[in-house]
Amino acid sequence: MQFITENLQILFTGLGLGSIYALVALGFVLIIRATNVVNFAQGDFAMLGGYAMVLFFTGLGWPYWIAFIGALLAMAVFGVLFNYGVYYPLRHRSFLPVLISTLGASIFLQNTVLYVAGPQPKPLDKLLNFDGITLGGVFLDSQYIVILVATVALVFFTFLFFEKTLLGKKLQATSQDKDMARLLGIPVALMIAITFIYSAVLGGIAGVLVGPILFVSIGMGSIIALKAFAATIIGGFGDVKGAIVGGLLLGVIESLAAQHISVPYKDAYAFLALFLFLLFRPQGIFGEKVSEKA
Amino acid sequence: MQNRISLPALIVLAIIAIALPLIPYQLHVSTYVVQMFMQAVTYAIAVLGMVVVLGYTGQINLAQAAFFGLGAYGVALGTVSGGINFWISLALGVGAATVAGLALGLTTLRLGGHYLAMITISFQQIFDLILVNWVEVTHGPDGIAGIGRPSLFGWELADDKAYLLLCTIVLYLLVFAVWYLPSTRLGRAMRSVRENELAAEVVGVHTLRTKVIAFALSALLGAIGGALYAGGFAYISPDNFNFARSVEFLTATLLGGAQSPFGGVIGTVLIVQLPEWLKHLPESLRFIKDVYLAVYGLGVILIMVFLYEGIWGLIKNLRAKFVKSQAKTDVSGVQPLVLDVQGSGDSALLRLENLQKHFGGLKAVDGIDIDVQRGTVHALIGPNGSGKTTSLNVVSGIYRPTGGKVILDGEDVSQLKPHQRAGRGVGRTFQNIRLFASLSALENVMVGAQRDNNPIPKGDKALRDRAMSALHFVGMADRAHVIVRNLPYGHQRLVEIARVLAGHPKLLLLDEPAAGLNQTEKMEFVELLKRLRGHGLTIFLIDHDMGLVEKVSDRITVLNFGRKIAEGAPAEVLRNPDVIAAYLGTAGETNAAA
Amino acid sequence: MRRYARFAAAALAAALAVCAHAQDTVKIGLVNEATGPNAEAGVYTHNGAKLALEEINAAGGVLGKKLELKLEDNQSTNPGTVLAFSKLFGEGGIVSIIGPIRSTQIQAASPTVAKAGIPTMIGGTDPSLTKVNNRWVFRARPNDSYSSRVIADFGVNTLKKQKWAIIHSTDAFGSGGMNALTTALKALGVTPVLVQGYTNNSQDFTPVVLAIKKSGADVIGSYMTNSPDVGIFAKQLRQLGVTAEWVGSPSVVTDTAMKLAGPALHGVYGIADFTPDATAESKAYAKKYRDTYKLDPDVYSSWAYDALRVLALAINTAKSTDPEAIRKAIVGIKGWKGVEGTYNFDENGDGLRGYNVVKNEAGKVAFIKHIDFKD
Repeated sequence: MQFITENLQILFTGLGLGSIYALVALGFVLIIRATNVVNFAQGDFAMLGGYAMVLFFTGLGWPYWIAFIGALLAMAVFGVLFNYGVYYPLRHRSFLPVLISTLGASIFLQNTVLYVAGPQPKPLDKLLNFDGITLGGVFLDSQYIVILVATVALVFFTFLFFEKTLLGKKLQATSQDKDMARLLGIPVALMIAITFIYSAVLGGIAGVLVGPILFVSIGMGSIIALKAFAATIIGGFGDVKGAIVGGLLLGVIESLAAQHISVPYKDAYAFLALFLFLLFRPQGIFGEKVSEKA
Repeated sequence: MQNRISLPALIVLAIIAIALPLIPYQLHVSTYVVQMFMQAVTYAIAVLGMVVVLGYTGQINLAQAAFFGLGAYGVALGTVSGGINFWISLALGVGAATVAGLALGLTTLRLGGHYLAMITISFQQIFDLILVNWVEVTHGPDGIAGIGRPSLFGWELADDKAYLLLCTIVLYLLVFAVWYLPSTRLGRAMRSVRENELAAEVVGVHTLRTKVIAFALSALLGAIGGALYAGGFAYISPDNFNFARSVEFLTATLLGGAQSPFGGVIGTVLIVQLPEWLKHLPESLRFIKDVYLAVYGLGVILIMVFLYEGIWGLIKNLRAKFVKSQAKTDVSGVQPLVLDVQGSGDSALLRLENLQKHFGGLKAVDGIDIDVQRGTVHALIGPNGSGKTTSLNVVSGIYRPTGGKVILDGEDVSQLKPHQRAGRGVGRTFQNIRLFASLSALENVMVGAQRDNNPIPKGDKALRDRAMSALHFVGMADRAHVIVRNLPYGHQRLVEIARVLAGHPKLLLLDEPAAGLNQTEKMEFVELLKRLRGHGLTIFLIDHDMGLVEKVSDRITVLNFGRKIAEGAPAEVLRNPDVIAAYLGTAGETNAAA
Repeated sequence: MRRYARFAAAALAAALAVCAHAQDTVKIGLVNEATGPNAEAGVYTHNGAKLALEEINAAGGVLGKKLELKLEDNQSTNPGTVLAFSKLFGEGGIVSIIGPIRSTQIQAASPTVAKAGIPTMIGGTDPSLTKVNNRWVFRARPNDSYSSRVIADFGVNTLKKQKWAIIHSTDAFGSGGMNALTTALKALGVTPVLVQGYTNNSQDFTPVVLAIKKSGADVIGSYMTNSPDVGIFAKQLRQLGVTAEWVGSPSVVTDTAMKLAGPALHGVYGIADFTPDATAESKAYAKKYRDTYKLDPDVYSSWAYDALRVLALAINTAKSTDPEAIRKAIVGIKGWKGVEGTYNFDENGDGLRGYNVVKNEAGKVAFIKHIDFKD
């Protein structure tokens, strides 16, 4: 009995962590699809969202929801800046310069925030007013429940947005074939800017939601982003459902392995899982094999 | 020749190079300065590895600090825990790193680009975790102190200055080696992979092996740097070898200029020195020191946007502005191109048997049989989406067939990789020219000449002669030293053909070779094709231009919807009602496959 | 008149501090973490040292000269520390150095210090640091053999608990502390029921908490390095219903950790070498620090405050800046009351031999008792 409760508890926190990875991974995937570039500053989007929330909610004392919306608006503006500062000047170059440029952006963002906000991590209130509930010996943290629900909701929203709205379809067309989209009169640059905005907002939401659990700190995004990136590869590079499933899977693998194998090597399991996937199923769970055309 | 350095530049370089390590001897400098030198020199060696893997081969490596660490821990564990001689420990560490580099390189088998970034980061992170947590072996986060220094030929290097001199000499030797590398066979292969991996593979470069070697070399150089570092500082701990350090190596490489060892060294010195210089800022500018790392991040973005070739690239471009290089090359004494092919019994050089290629449910090539006779020009035509290019891709090995066989000269090559087929004498050109844009015309063609089994003498001279002959054959010998990016379209097309011819092909595959040429160029091209046929070369080509196809072909095969609908002599085929119908579109207008 | 003169002197000193190079001063180096992941602590250390500097100079400096602090950033890394030390030594004229608070950094720099032969005050608590044949390292904090002995003594003798779980970070500080605590408990006849490590910056402690639960421990001894880890662990510990007592190394009662964890850390005991309301000296210091920086004082600042004052005292006693003379003077300091406790230096260079036990009472640190050892 105790064995079962323990593993259910581990499973729950694994899913909670996993949905954080999934949320960040979703932001990754959208940018990969739109620009074919991995954004190494994706984790810092979450960090910025967290700090914006701390500023508006704790610092300026705005009501929770107003502060939340304020943080998301700030992230939207940031998305525009990021697009024009980091991606746009390099849009005609190969993936490597862009990748390195986002890496530079990550260093820049972390240290700028360090300078402005100082090195102390900041606490953040939970969305709900209770700590959690205990079900059959398993404690369910209210914030993890919120994150799980929010992830499902955002995935659903993203799906509707891309499949059911004209703007979403234009975005899809852009991500599939930029030249064709251009011929059809779709403003490609604008579509990519919108993708960055959306991705930055998603990152911001992740930061605000994770803040109460992991606290808001300079490095909060880095390790999450690495795992989220691993999740996108495990799920299938550039695949939305893959990102979600990959994220959840990774969270669960990590927690179970930490419980049953060794705690200090917890961070290694994600990367080990990634290695195994890359060796035996490099296209990921949902990915298809693609070869370059001559 | 990118590697030519003018005499004055050489002298200046030599003077600086000799003067630098002597500074500690001449001037009275503190241990601190010596240590800064030591750091710069050992880091620079690791950065040379980045030059090879990133600059030459175009592969991202975010684990250079881990290789650096393997070298350092090799020396530390060997001398402190194992009580082994310094040089043996160094060899062990470097060996371990090289093996790790080989293994990482092997993952590029199926994965490039982003995957590689992630794989190397993962390796870096796991390495870091092991250093910290496997306390019994690595001494954990405490690190290892009391690392000894070696003696060399009975000469003790315990003194800081003497040891620094040793490190500097090693650095110079390695800079020279890395500088020399691009003009070797391997170096050209690396650069061709960087410029266009697919074309490199098709031309005959074993791209996987090239990338694996690049990774192994990078790891090797990283480990040498790390081993010397460990000896220099006598103490190492895991935080010397984390992800942040890998990013630092990357930044140094990019800042200095990834494509040259000199750039790498310049970049390293700047990265090591920059925080020092910032400390001397006046009070009013002190805040820059506080945001140093932020500025550093911003710098990375700015380099990517404005200074992609780094500082060394800037210097090179400035030099190019002032020093006029001779655009024309002396072509006297170029030997005529030999293209003769030994025939075997079978008369069909290429035989496609019930060849199929499906993409999911789409049957792009749906069971075709074609015999290409030795010494003939055989054209494959058909409307858009009829499966022509797919067929050609299956023949050259870019796609594996779903079913059926590709038989070359009696041998089933269906499962061979493109470079293996190139090694058996299959050469091809691409519809949208795929040259190695930043290499010279001569270097492009030399890559073609260095395919496996090319029947020419060994050595660089033979390669060069062969390449010059090929360029001369297409009338481009006088432009041999021009970077192909700067050539007009028509000339690029000719260089691409010379690249194939230098490989002495049995079978020449031409993918819409006349696309984008004007009328005059087309006329010249027809002449070239006729000359090639006159040499007895077997050619299998695709083109849209019926006039051209009719003029040069001995035989034509027509495809529609992935199936063969007609075959025969040009005049006969072009009058075939099915063919006319297919071209006029009565048979349907949907595109099956692009 | 005399008061005015002193005031003028202080003002002059302040004005000259900007262009201090030309001034004849006694220079003391401060190697701290001004940038990098631990920059938080670096700021506090500098604050504490500055406060002592102003006091010493206001009281006339040392040997009739002003004291000057030369700051050197170690970027929170080991190689950075080695470079910072050799830079300070290389500049010449440095009489003495206040080193970092992290043990690994000191370990890295120790050979450099030994070679230079210049007295260095350290805040790292790894017991071995003062015992590795380095005569020039002095510690202005109690070392971990005492922290673990205090934790063990308080848990076993005061709280009367026998079933111990030890939770530690796998870094040098955590592993060293774990070893020392295991030894200290053994001396009291207790074998821990669980010893569990984790890697810094873990996002989840569920497996650790479950292991504690399973072990049936009734008291937790901890050596955790980072505040967010303390916060996450504390929350999950209480969420999963573990009610065991908790006696932790100083990191559980830092300001940041208590802010992050909130009620989850209430009732937890921590040990602290510095507690604002432990003694008259510490009370006075706390008031001054709060007035100056509008921040609550903690160990990162207090140890540096003491370290600089110990050095000034030693230089004045020695009446010389000669390293041997300073060393002799430091080792001779007995019964000197600093803000961290009463200093009795031994030949190894260890000044303090005990800790305060404090308790987090609804978010406020309350002083419980001071435990000192003779040996």
